[in-house]
Amino acid sequence: MEFGTMDIAAIRSGLAAKEFSAREVAEQSLARIDAVDGTVNAFLEVTPEAALAKADEVDAAIAAGAFDELGPLAGVPVAFKDNMNLAGTHTACASHMLENYVSPYTATCVQRAIDAGALPLGKLNMDEFAFGSTTESSAFGTTKNPWDTSRVPGGSSGGSAAAVAAGMATVTLGSDTGGSIRQPGSFCGVVAVKPTYGVVSRYGVVAFGSSLDQVGPFARSVHDAALALNAISGRDERDCTSQDVTIDFTRGLDAGVSGMKIGIVPEFMDAAGLTSEVKHAIEGAAEKLREMGAEIVEVELPHVRAAISAYYVIAPCEAFSNLSRFDSVRYGFCDPGHKSLAGQYEASRAKGFGPEARRRIMLGSYLLSAGVYDKYYYPAQQVRTLITQDYERAYETVDCILAPVAPQTAFAFGQISDPATMYATDLYTISINIAGNGGMSVPVGLGEDSQMPVGAQLIAPAFHDMNMLRVAAALEEAYGTARVAPDFADVKAGA
Amino acid sequence: MTEHVTEKDVRDIAEYCRIGLADSEIPQMTADLNAIIDELAPITEYDLTGVEPTFHPIGDLSNVMREDVEGQSFTQEEALSNAPAQQDGSFLIPSILGGGEA
Amino acid sequence: MKKIEEVLKDWEPVIGLEVHCELTKLETKMFCGCKLEFGAAPNTHTCPVCLGLPGALPVPNKAAIESIVLAGLATNCDIEKHTMFYRKGYMYPDMAKNFQTTQGPKAFCMRGHLDLDVDEKNINERYGVAELAPGETFENVTRTEDGYTAKVGITRIHMEEDAGKMIHVGGAEGRIEGATHSLVDYNRAGTPLIELVTEPDLRSPEEARLFMEKLRQIFLALNISDCSMEEGSIRADGNISLRRRGTDQLGTKTELKNINSFKSLHDGLLYEICRQAEVLEEGGVIYQETRHWDASKKRTIVMRTKETADDYRMFPDPDLAPYDLSDEFIERVRAKLPELPDQKVKRFQETWSLSAYDARHLVEHRVTANFFEACMETADAKLAKPLANLIINDLAAMANDGLDLSASPLSPARAVELVGLLASDAISSKQGKQVLAAVLDEDKDPAQIVEEKGMKQVSDTGALEAVIDKVLADNPDKVAAYKGGKTGLLGFFVGQCMKATRGQGNPKLINQMLAQKLNG
Ligand SMILES: [Mg+2]
Ligand SMILES: [Zn+2]
Repeated sequence: MEFGTMDIAAIRSGLAAKEFSAREVAEQSLARIDAVDGTVNAFLEVTPEAALAKADEVDAAIAAGAFDELGPLAGVPVAFKDNMNLAGTHTACASHMLENYVSPYTATCVQRAIDAGALPLGKLNMDEFAFGSTTESSAFGTTKNPWDTSRVPGGSSGGSAAAVAAGMATVTLGSDTGGSIRQPGSFCGVVAVKPTYGVVSRYGVVAFGSSLDQVGPFARSVHDAALALNAISGRDERDCTSQDVTIDFTRGLDAGVSGMKIGIVPEFMDAAGLTSEVKHAIEGAAEKLREMGAEIVEVELPHVRAAISAYYVIAPCEAFSNLSRFDSVRYGFCDPGHKSLAGQYEASRAKGFGPEARRRIMLGSYLLSAGVYDKYYYPAQQVRTLITQDYERAYETVDCILAPVAPQTAFAFGQISDPATMYATDLYTISINIAGNGGMSVPVGLGEDSQMPVGAQLIAPAFHDMNMLRVAAALEEAYGTARVAPDFADVKAGA
Repeated sequence: MTEHVTEKDVRDIAEYCRIGLADSEIPQMTADLNAIIDELAPITEYDLTGVEPTFHPIGDLSNVMREDVEGQSFTQEEALSNAPAQQDGSFLIPSILGGGEA
Repeated sequence: MKKIEEVLKDWEPVIGLEVHCELTKLETKMFCGCKLEFGAAPNTHTCPVCLGLPGALPVPNKAAIESIVLAGLATNCDIEKHTMFYRKGYMYPDMAKNFQTTQGPKAFCMRGHLDLDVDEKNINERYGVAELAPGETFENVTRTEDGYTAKVGITRIHMEEDAGKMIHVGGAEGRIEGATHSLVDYNRAGTPLIELVTEPDLRSPEEARLFMEKLRQIFLALNISDCSMEEGSIRADGNISLRRRGTDQLGTKTELKNINSFKSLHDGLLYEICRQAEVLEEGGVIYQETRHWDASKKRTIVMRTKETADDYRMFPDPDLAPYDLSDEFIERVRAKLPELPDQKVKRFQETWSLSAYDARHLVEHRVTANFFEACMETADAKLAKPLANLIINDLAAMANDGLDLSASPLSPARAVELVGLLASDAISSKQGKQVLAAVLDEDKDPAQIVEEKGMKQVSDTGALEAVIDKVLADNPDKVAAYKGGKTGLLGFFVGQCMKATRGQGNPKLINQMLAQKLNG
C-alpha cells in the first residue's frame, strides 16, 4: 500500500476494517519519504518517533473499539511547514537563523491536527521566513516540483505542496501571506486552501505579516482539505485574531453550482503578463461551471491594481517588526566571539538572515520611519479599506470569484531573480490577503504549452469559505481529483 | 529609477536594524530598495481623503481579552533551552556598552 | 552654585513627570498567564509569549485594562473608548520581542488632572502666590488659607508592558559602564505597566514630590499596585527646563532618570534647577540629555545625549484587537472606585472639624489615616485635634523611620488614652512624649506608665500657689526687674517653678498664675 497517495476516506475505512494499522500507515509513509524525498527535498526534518507514537495511540483506540471517537485525521499522514512549532522538533523557517532552534511549545494548528489523529511526519521546506514565491530562498536547498524537477514548486509553502504532489503525505499545512499556499498549490497541481483570516489560529506559527498570515491545508481532494480545515479551525484563546468558526467545511460540497453566481474580474483576466495557457485554462473552467448551471458574471475590483503596492508596504513593515526578536540573545544564531552586544547583534543578523529577509527587514524599517510612515504605511492601510470594499461590493452580486492563481505555471529554477518582478507575480493572490477573504487553488488540468498543472483560484466572502469549497468540488468533478505527480505515482517504497 | 534612499540612508537603516552589511553590499541593497519603493507609487496616487485605514482585517473584532488567571510557565531549563549563552539561570550577553570592540 | 531661593527670583522651573507604575496586585502578566512575583529564581516566570519566542502571540489581561481605567477615573481623566495597542520598536536585550507593546496617540486615559495642596512653608517656591489673597487665582494656582492649590494636568495614562531585568557583571558596583557582560532575566518582562505623563505644569521640586505622594496615595487606595519605590514598582522620570521670569518660551529640557525615592526626585530636581541656572547665567547651553541623580555625590551626571529624536517605528499592533470600551464597562469599573484621598480629607474635615492641614497630613499616608480612624471609633470627638497632633507631629515621623504603626505597642486604644491624659492636663506635653516613648519601649498602657513613674501633673492651684510664692520671694531683684519692663523674665520664673515641682507642675497653669501675680 502507498498510504501517502491515499485519501482520508480510504485510510479511514481501511483502519476501520482493520485492513491495516495506523503503525503500518506511519511506517510506510516514512519509508516513502526515504525513497522519494532525496529527489524532491520537501522535508527539512522527518519525525519518525512522533509519527509512530501517534500511530500507536490511534491503534490502541481502534483496539479499544473507540474508532468513532477518533478525530477526522485519524491515522492520516500529515506534515507541517517549517514555520510551525511542534515541541521537540526544529522550527527553522528554512533559515540559518533558526537552524538549531528546538521548539519548546506547539502551535495550535499543529496540536489540533495531532489531536484530530494526524500522524506527524515532519517539517516541510519553505522560502526563508516565507519570503518568496519559489522556495529557492530556503537556507537548506530548494524543493523540486514533482511534476518537473527542473522547475520550482512555488512558494513560500513549496515543501507543503510538493510533499502532497509527490504522495509523501495525505495532508500538509502551509501558511499564506500573499499567496504562499495557493500559488505552490497551483504549481504542484494540488488543492490548496487559504481560509478567511481568523479561521485558523496563528498561535505558534512564526509570524511574517501578522495581519495577512493565515494557515491552511494542502490535499489531493477538496474533501480532504475540508476535513483538515474542520480539524484545525476555530477560536483559540491564545490568538486574539482567531474567530469562533464552527462550520463543517465538508457540508454542501456535493451540492453542485447550479444557481450560483460566479464572478470573473476583467482586471485579472486582461492583466499584462497573464500567459495565454493560464488564461485559457481559467476560461475553460468558467465554461465548465456554466455548463454545470452556474451563472458567470463580470465584477469590477477597481482598486486591486494597488494591492501589490499596499502589500509591499504592509507585509515588510510587519515582517521588520516580527523579525526584530531574532537577536542572538534568547535563541537563534549567535555569531561567536564578540566582546560587544552591538557587534554580536550585527554579525548574527547579517549572517543568520538570507538576502531576501534582510531586504524585507530593511524595507519595512524604512517604511515605518518618521515621515515615511505617512507617505506609504498609513495610505496603504487606507487603500486596504478600498480593496476590502471592492470585494464587499462584488459579493453583493456573486457568491464566489474565479481567477487565475498565478500568471504562469511553474517556471524553471533561477528564471526570475529580480525582486520587483518576482513580487509582481503575486497580483492575483495578494489582494485576498489584503481584504482577509478566503481563497483557494484547485487543479484545472495542465497548461497547453508547458504541460504543467494550472490551478484555478476561487475567492469567497469572509467566513463564507464554504462557497469556494463548493465550487472547487464542482470543478474537481469536472477535472478529477488532484493526481500524484506522474513521475512519483508508481514509486513503491519499502516492503 | 528614483533615488528614494541614498547609500547613506541604507547604512543608517542597516544600523537601525542591527544588520551588519559589508560595504560591498550597500550599492546592491540601495538599488534593490529603490526599485521596490518605485513600485509602491500606486499607493500615493489615490485621493484617500476621508478613507479610514484598516489596520486589522475583519474589522468587527474588538475587546479580546483573557481573565487574570495563572497559566503554564516554563521551567528555568526550558526557558534557557535555546540560549546561545547562559549563566546562573540567566541569558548571557556581551558588554552592552562596547567592551572595547568597535 | 547659587542657592535655590536666589535662582527662583530670576528663573521659572518648568517640570513634567513621567511615572511608570507596575500593576503588582494582579495575578498574571499583561499578555500571558505567567505569574507576577518579585524575587523568584531567574527566568522561572516565563513562557513563549514573554520570552518573545517565534510564533507566540499576546492576549491582554482584562484585569489590567480595568485597573488602568480605574486609575484614569481616579485622576479625572476622560476614558478614551476607541484605542489600539501599538508596537514601539527598539532593540534592547531586556525587551524580548525587541518592541514594546504600548499605546499610540490615543491612550485609555486622556486629559486628567490632580490638585496639589501645598503648605504655607513652601509657598515661596511658586512665584507670586504669596502675594495673593486666599481664594484668589493665578494661572493654575489658587491661594488657600494655609498655602495654595496647584492644578496639574495629566496628559495621558497608557497601558504597556515592563521589560526584563539585567545584571551587569565585571564593572564596578554592578554598573553598566565597564561591565564585560550582562545577565538577562525575563521574569519581570511583560509585567503590566501604566505610564502616566503630566503636562509641564509643575513649578517646584516640592510640587513634584507632592504629585508623586498624591499619585501613590491614589494608586494605593485603588489597590492596583504596591507602589514600592525600592522594588521599582513605581518609578518617575522628571523633565525639567528653566525660563526667565516673565517670558513664555520654553528652554531646552533635560530628563532626570534613576530616581528611586521621593527625596531623590525632590533633590535631583532641585540640583538640576540650580545647575541649569548656573549654565545659563554663564552664557552656556543646556543640551537635551538624560541625566542620572547620584544620591551619594548629590549631583546629576550625564547618562546619554540625544543627538536625534528617537524613531521607534511605531505602528498599530496587528496581533491585538482594537478596543471599543462600552459605557457599561466603564460604569462597572467606576462602581469599584474606593474613597479617594481627596474625599477622605474632606470627610475628616467635616466629621471631626479638623483643619485642612491636619486632614491632609493624616490622609497623606494610608497607615496614619487608618490609625486615626481606628482611634476615633472610641475617642470622644473633642480628642480629634489632639489625636491629629500626636499622629502628625510624633507618629508620622516615627513611621517614616520604620515604625510599623499597625503592629506597634501603641494600639489605637492606648493612643486615645494618652491623648486623654494630655487633654485633661493630667500630664504635660513634655511628659506626653516620655509616656509615648515608654509605651513603645515597654508595651504598657499610658495610665500605668504615668502611675509607675509618678508623673502626675500638679494642677492643684493651692499647691502651685505655694511654690510660686516661694520662687518670687527668693528672687526679689528679678521681680523688680520684671516690673521695670523686663517681661522676658517670665520664662525664668516658670523654669524655677517647674524645677521646684520636679517637672510635674502644669506649665500652662503656672504661666497664668505667675502672670496674674506679677502684673496684678
Ligand atoms: Mg513608556
Ligand atoms: Zn509569560
